[in-house]
Amino acid sequence: MDHTENSGRERILARIHSGLRMPAPKHSAAPTAQMVFAAIPDPLARFQDECAYNATECVLMRDSRASSRALADALAPVPEGEIYIQDAPALRRLTEGSGIDRAVRWSTEGPPTEASQATVTLAECLVAATGSILISSAAAGRGASIVAPVHIVVAEIAQLVPDLASAVARARKSGGVTGSSCLCLITGSSRTADIEKILVLGAHGPRRVVVILARQLD
Amino acid sequence: MSTAAREFLRNAAQKAADRANQRNIRRAIEHYNESAREGRARFLDWEAARQQCHEIKWEALNHLDEYLVEFEERVKERGGHVFWAETGEDARRYVADLAKSRGVRTIVKSKSMVTEEIHLTPALEKIGIQVLETDLGEFIVQLRNEPPSHIVMPAMHLSRGQISKLFQEKLGAEATEDPAKLVAVARQTLRRAFFSAEMGITGANFLIADSGMIAITTNEGNDRLGTAIPRIHVAITGIEKVLPRLEDLALFWPVLAAAGTGQRITVYNTLIGGPRAADEIDGPEEFHVILLDNGRTELLADAEQRDVLHCIRCGACLNACPVFRTIGGHAYGTTYSGPVGSVLTPHTRGLAEFQHLSFASSLCGACTSVCPVKIDLHHHLLQNRRNAVRASDRPWLERAAFSIWRWTMMGQRRFAAAGQLGRTLLRGLYAMGVEATPLDPLRPWTRRRAASAIPRKSFRAMWGQGGGKE
Repeated sequence: MDHTENSGRERILARIHSGLRMPAPKHSAAPTAQMVFAAIPDPLARFQDECAYNATECVLMRDSRASSRALADALAPVPEGEIYIQDAPALRRLTEGSGIDRAVRWSTEGPPTEASQATVTLAECLVAATGSILISSAAAGRGASIVAPVHIVVAEIAQLVPDLASAVARARKSGGVTGSSCLCLITGSSRTADIEKILVLGAHGPRRVVVILARQLD
Repeated sequence: MSTAAREFLRNAAQKAADRANQRNIRRAIEHYNESAREGRARFLDWEAARQQCHEIKWEALNHLDEYLVEFEERVKERGGHVFWAETGEDARRYVADLAKSRGVRTIVKSKSMVTEEIHLTPALEKIGIQVLETDLGEFIVQLRNEPPSHIVMPAMHLSRGQISKLFQEKLGAEATEDPAKLVAVARQTLRRAFFSAEMGITGANFLIADSGMIAITTNEGNDRLGTAIPRIHVAITGIEKVLPRLEDLALFWPVLAAAGTGQRITVYNTLIGGPRAADEIDGPEEFHVILLDNGRTELLADAEQRDVLHCIRCGACLNACPVFRTIGGHAYGTTYSGPVGSVLTPHTRGLAEFQHLSFASSLCGACTSVCPVKIDLHHHLLQNRRNAVRASDRPWLERAAFSIWRWTMMGQRRFAAAGQLGRTLLRGLYAMGVEATPLDPLRPWTRRRAASAIPRKSFRAMWGQGGGKE
């Protein structure tokens, strides 16, 4: 970039440095229990509850074959048009097994287009406490979880973590933080309440988010 | 009195008397109050969450230089650019030059108060670039050619009828009272823009030092489209938004959601560390972060009020403030309204011109009690008043009056005599029919309120007689 001569940098840093000479008061409080969030005894039940609350459809499946059927079911009401699928071996198998007969664009063919009617991706992990899905750009890309009216996520129960802290820890350990230019924590479907605080689903992103949660995928 | 102060008084009086405006604001805030109560109740210990947020932000701000440099290094490692802007002008020029050199014609913009602060959109429009706000509320106020009236709820001052009329006039939409149909109109209009724009501009809710990532929070997902499809992404943010570690988000995401809208967590919490990596499917080719000072280092140097920079822009203090609830955001005439705006603006735009905002408060402390990062807001309002007096920025008449008042208050006899004199004089004047006329010495109070009966005896005398009877 031709702008990189940046004389403001040193001046701003110098002002911060001199500004910090005087320490700021800290508002101390009586020691608290320090437990900010309640413990989560049953992550799977919690995840399902949270999904129900935030308008994510969560279907629990036994294995790959059942998940294939779930994928076909989830796609059944989707109108004519292209389906965009992350090109991963597990999703290739699931798609073949589902017997769906419609135009598929695989992620190896390029980014999703405006015409995508639904997208199918894997996830880094699922968060029980909030009913969230963590997606990385390294695996699923950036657009695949946002451009279409329907986003279907396929995950295994082993990917379920209890809370946000464990999701961050897991993403760090798996290299998801350094290995992706973008991570997104998705909780429910796109929404807005900017008009009279009335909730409307499907603002710019998917109106339907579906999680196919398999006990095990082979 | 400064020009800004005169305008504020005029606008505040007008807005306070505007019933329709009041209705819209009340509806939004009542809805918020209910959700926020539920939001806080989802925490095992909300107070512990506030305290932890305060301590993390304290750590970040009091080592700001180290964390910013760490953040910059990480972003550069991934091939992103970091520009340090001392002023709004520096930031505007950087974006304008970048846009021109890259042949940008259309920009899709996510909600960002910092871009409001530096008036970015008009500067870009002046050089012939189309800038589209993509957050629904911001899209609405952009069509109306007015600034957002709230940090989180930009169009809270409008009813769906007004929005429908606006869409009919500006977009040729059909008349409808159905919010879902209005949302669909905006979605349709903006969808084309997302796929044709060359640049996406966003703010950042947090800057994560140890991972070199910016965190953006939205419910609509407009930020996600704007940072996935266009070939350039520019994030503009204040230097104070730093958090030391990625782990801090496990606390700050739910806290921002609870305080901002009452949700358990916002729908999209996006982390971006650089442009599209070599092996990735999509994403922008260029990623630029602009770190804006624009007066923030001066506030940082004020140790007493440094915690104002802890602000995560949730809007909770606005919603809690009886003044904001009465006049709404536009009357303030500043980018940041409500208690945090009243504290912040004198630092960024001058105490002489904007001190009046610190006086437009009952000092009730509701703002401080709801602030999720524990900014001592109402004491800062008081400190601004003190600073204004110290800087001799108050009118001489007021200063003289307070000297006399102080002298009177310091002596028991003087105080009793003054009370006696005041009551007698006022009764005499009211007997002559002066009450509620421009000659009434209590005019500022009686202009909009009935005067209360003037007692014959002082409170002290009544108390001495053992009861509230005269």
